[in-house]
Amino acid sequence: MTNTYITNATWALTGEKIDLRMGHGDEPVTHYMSDIPLPGVNGITPAGEMQIPAGARTINAEGKMLLPALFDLHATINLEGHSKRESIYRAGQAANHGGVWGMLVMPSKGFIFDNAATLDSFDDAVSQRSFATMVPAGCITEDMAGAQQAPYNTLAARGVTILSDGGKMPDSLLMLHRAMKYAAEMDLTFAIRGDVPCLSKNTYMHPGTTSYSLGLHGTPACAEEIGIETLIRLAKDAGARLHIQTVSTAEGVDIIRRAKSNGMKGLTAEVALHHLLYTHEDVGDYNTTFKTLPPLREKQDCEALLAGVKDGTIDCIVTDHTPCLSFAKKQDFVSAPHGMVALDTFLPAIYTYLIKPGKLSWAEVIKACCTAPVAIVNPYDREEDTPVAAPLLLFAPDEEQHITPETLSCGTTNSPLLGTVVQGTVTLPIN
Amino acid sequence: MNPRKDLVTIDALSDEDIRTILDSTSAMKDIFTKSVKKVPALKGKSVLTLFYEPSTRTRSSFEVAAHRLSADVTTFTVSTSSVVKGESVHDTIDTLMSMKMDYIIVRHKNSGIPAVIARHCKASVINAGDGAHAHPSQAFLDAFTIKEKYGEIAGKRVVIIGDILHSRVARSTSTILRRLGAEVAYMGPGPLVPLQQHTGIPRFTNWEQIFEWKPDVIYLLRVQNERIDTPFFPVSDYHSAFGVTEERLRRIDDLNLSIMHPGPVNRGVEICDAAMDYRNTLINNQVENGIAARMSILYHLTPQTQSND
Amino acid sequence: MPTISKEEIEKALDAWTTHLLQAHATSKGGNLAIVGIVSHGDVLARRLVQKLSAAGCPAHYGAIDITLYRDDLNLRGNRPALRSSHLPFSTDDMTLILVDDVLSTGRTARAALEVLWEYGRPARVELHCLTDRGGRQLPIQPDYVAFDLSTVSEGKVVVHLQEIDGKEDISY
Repeated sequence: MTNTYITNATWALTGEKIDLRMGHGDEPVTHYMSDIPLPGVNGITPAGEMQIPAGARTINAEGKMLLPALFDLHATINLEGHSKRESIYRAGQAANHGGVWGMLVMPSKGFIFDNAATLDSFDDAVSQRSFATMVPAGCITEDMAGAQQAPYNTLAARGVTILSDGGKMPDSLLMLHRAMKYAAEMDLTFAIRGDVPCLSKNTYMHPGTTSYSLGLHGTPACAEEIGIETLIRLAKDAGARLHIQTVSTAEGVDIIRRAKSNGMKGLTAEVALHHLLYTHEDVGDYNTTFKTLPPLREKQDCEALLAGVKDGTIDCIVTDHTPCLSFAKKQDFVSAPHGMVALDTFLPAIYTYLIKPGKLSWAEVIKACCTAPVAIVNPYDREEDTPVAAPLLLFAPDEEQHITPETLSCGTTNSPLLGTVVQGTVTLPIN
Repeated sequence: MNPRKDLVTIDALSDEDIRTILDSTSAMKDIFTKSVKKVPALKGKSVLTLFYEPSTRTRSSFEVAAHRLSADVTTFTVSTSSVVKGESVHDTIDTLMSMKMDYIIVRHKNSGIPAVIARHCKASVINAGDGAHAHPSQAFLDAFTIKEKYGEIAGKRVVIIGDILHSRVARSTSTILRRLGAEVAYMGPGPLVPLQQHTGIPRFTNWEQIFEWKPDVIYLLRVQNERIDTPFFPVSDYHSAFGVTEERLRRIDDLNLSIMHPGPVNRGVEICDAAMDYRNTLINNQVENGIAARMSILYHLTPQTQSND
Repeated sequence: MPTISKEEIEKALDAWTTHLLQAHATSKGGNLAIVGIVSHGDVLARRLVQKLSAAGCPAHYGAIDITLYRDDLNLRGNRPALRSSHLPFSTDDMTLILVDDVLSTGRTARAALEVLWEYGRPARVELHCLTDRGGRQLPIQPDYVAFDLSTVSEGKVVVHLQEIDGKEDISY
């Protein structure tokens, strides 16, 4: 097996220039200045110090950042009207395009992960069709209907580590409490979005100036906050691990911060990238691209969420990738589905809107998008019987990317970045 | 006024548009005094009324307006079953496009539907009420009625009373009146009056505050309990807390205030019987002006269908 | 451009009044109405009514806006603003003198006739104009013209009247 050499790459965490020897070593190398494991790397030195044999395959990474690829803890991949294999193929392609090597796939229509057969056929399709690693999140309840618990032991045996009903808060807290007590013994994590369904029913966006002028009923922030508080108390009582999905309000961040500082174990939380970047005012004149669940909130909420990422209250930044057919998004705001696609543009968008303006450092992004989500999911190769580690990617921050329907490989175009220019292009995998 | 295809919200109009439509309304009203109450302005043009929510009043007002401009009017009956079946707006739009209509007058329970139809049709789309969003023709007839009564709108104070949260009338009428220089306040049961920081409009919750504010016009909204699944307030309280009672009518009379209502009126809820016959109750004027205002709107819109004829 | 002055217009209006007095001497005051077409024709009509009244022949004054009856409405991108019509009397069995400032294609006069017929059934209608610049497209001829410019104008006649334009002349 011959080696490939990467020269003059900038190590994103420290900014130092390094050379790498890529090949198959016996032991994965850990970077000497951080304890991030680097699979596929069997040598690493400061730039210029590596002995490169004449005629060896070399990639000059001058001007490019080297960093571990991202893991997305929240992706929905179902493409309405397409086969499951096509949905898997598109999501995998989009993920690599945006710097994402692996993702936790939420159960959704067509991907109801509540039984062994569905999980097996999903794994087969992923191994044949996907560029990216896909870890399915098992259903909390059968058919995500919120009534009967799914067979967690069967799911866990197929590698499920996270349970979710696609973010939906079950109506019955009694059912959820019992589910948590049962699943706690199997070390499964519940991934749920804080909500009180009867408070958020028939609401379409954040209540404020925009919702008033558009005549759309507002989703009160307290619905999410009461939901988060409820989930934390249930999980604490049941001894279950809990991952709060897509926190959107400042108060929600505070509740999680308080629980963590009170020493609650097994509690993690995520924020969707769009909740850091956009507000309810972006809905403008019924722009359905900005219809999300939970809704986009105020500027102060964006700032509180960002502060939560910085102080570790919010562990991960996720895409909450949700393909919607343009037909569906062209409907009126009330009828249009929720969600945006974000896999294709994930790392360039983070770089353009968070790193470049100095809101987050590379180290914070790598923690929130690489190491933390991997630690929560623990992706495991059951055939090889080894943990799966993040590959490396190269990121060219000076290259511009025009986001057009053609450059979005995820299969739909419901991206707020469509028609804009973002900074940075991704090479993943490196070969 | 510059050519404009649709009327979806008041916000989309320029000040000139608003004044032009308002000014032409009185010329339209003169037509009612002729022995032939009809002009040939829209002869040969086709108008479609597409009402997903029942409303005999608004629909007939638009139909009469279209007839008086000599347009042909078609009523598109939307059976509740096809709505339940989930026929998408796009399917309906395709059907409408094939009908080659020049004007489409649409009402729907979802906010934002007329905007979607307007984007996809060459016909002029007139919003006859969408969800809690907008009801611009009502805004024009209200503004015209106040102008007719007082000579001008600037400087007048209008308090809108009732379920503001769910009211497209409150939104559109307050918008047009404020654009024309009037001051607007909202009053109603607490859960149904949005915060001033969201609306920019003073928020009152009782009549004493209103009388102190010294309005010229009391604008009552219809209590629409049928739209609400979970109650916001005890309805049996409404008349005593927020309605025009006989006692309040005496004060309104003393202060010489006008009363308006978009109709239909719930007697004994928003308003007592006696107030219907009060000398400054403008409700019937509103109905008559509704036809003239809608004629003016139809006349001033320019469908894109005509350039290809 | 040649111009007709304010004084000449004034003189022409006197002659016009004299013509009306002679032609309608038999009509017993109450049956005569001068109806101007908005805008300019109505101003002329009002002045004629005043002059007739001064000469002891009272006549009704009316004004009509023919915008909604124009045959080119749907050919235009935008719609012209509307003015109120004003015919505060029954037109049945009346003699109506339709007054306009410039007669050309005849389309305005056609529309005006359509308007009048929707108010009632007049006994007789005459068409009187301040100027005629020719270019008729319809079988319509005036009963009286103050200034016949049909042979001298090069297609454009502009009338200014004091009440509307702040000055008074005709250029052609």
